[in-house]
Amino acid sequence: MNKIKQLYPPGDFGVWIIIYIELITFGLFFVGFAFSRRKEIEIFNNSQLLLDQRFGFVNTILLLTSSYFIVKATQIIKRINTKESCHLAANYIVSAIGFGGIFLIIKIIEFAGKYQQGINLSTNTFFMFYFVLTMFHFMHVVLGMIILFNLYVNTKNGLYTGEQHRGLESGASYWHMVDLLWIVLFPLIYIIR
Amino acid sequence: MKKTTLIWSLLITLTFFAFILGYFKVINNFFVFLLLITTFLKSQLIIDYFMNLREIQLKYRILPTLWIVVVLVLIAIAYYLPII
Repeated sequence: MNKIKQLYPPGDFGVWIIIYIELITFGLFFVGFAFSRRKEIEIFNNSQLLLDQRFGFVNTILLLTSSYFIVKATQIIKRINTKESCHLAANYIVSAIGFGGIFLIIKIIEFAGKYQQGINLSTNTFFMFYFVLTMFHFMHVVLGMIILFNLYVNTKNGLYTGEQHRGLESGASYWHMVDLLWIVLFPLIYIIR
Repeated sequence: MKKTTLIWSLLITLTFFAFILGYFKVINNFFVFLLLITTFLKSQLIIDYFMNLREIQLKYRILPTLWIVVVLVLIAIAYYLPII
């Protein structure tokens, strides 16, 4: 039997407009990075050697797992509608916030390490892109965590139900976008050379 | 719910593959191509199963997919196009 397709993406339509705009903005940065590299391949490859891939790898795992927790929370709210299910979903959301927090701490350690080595925005084109892209993404993670905290409070208070969970889906979609952007950023900045 | 865990495991495995290539510096033209393909797969899994766009009308689902295809194709062009 064919499933009936939903008319609109999950959550508020407004959040999807924001998501599409963010994707285009980051997309331009990604393509700008790739084409700038063509002009200074040696500088880009040598500068990339100064990055620690382990930071990027662990941060990818953290964001993917955090997103996974949000999917679980959304599924629980949609399928089951009890006080216990709200509590369980809230626990998943708070875990997602925790993983987001560890991501930020690792990023701060990485930034601090670079500044201690005397590397900053104006070191060269590679590090200009590295700092602009990762700091811009960092700000999106911070905003995402504020949204997730709001979702946590609402979920804990039982405001979302199987029928009414649009706010939860909107916040979840934003958080998955943050994850999606990092999925492209990680190989582009840390791996491909 | 088991499907979600499977998708998450696949995403972690593909990420580990990318990390190994980068960590041991075994990147060449073929592996760059493979990395771009795996990046597309990971992105599509997030779009379909995490963002849950697989069950909505094609006109909305296609936008993020189109975005990732255009971005990755342009990155590939930047990497593979000979420098004159």
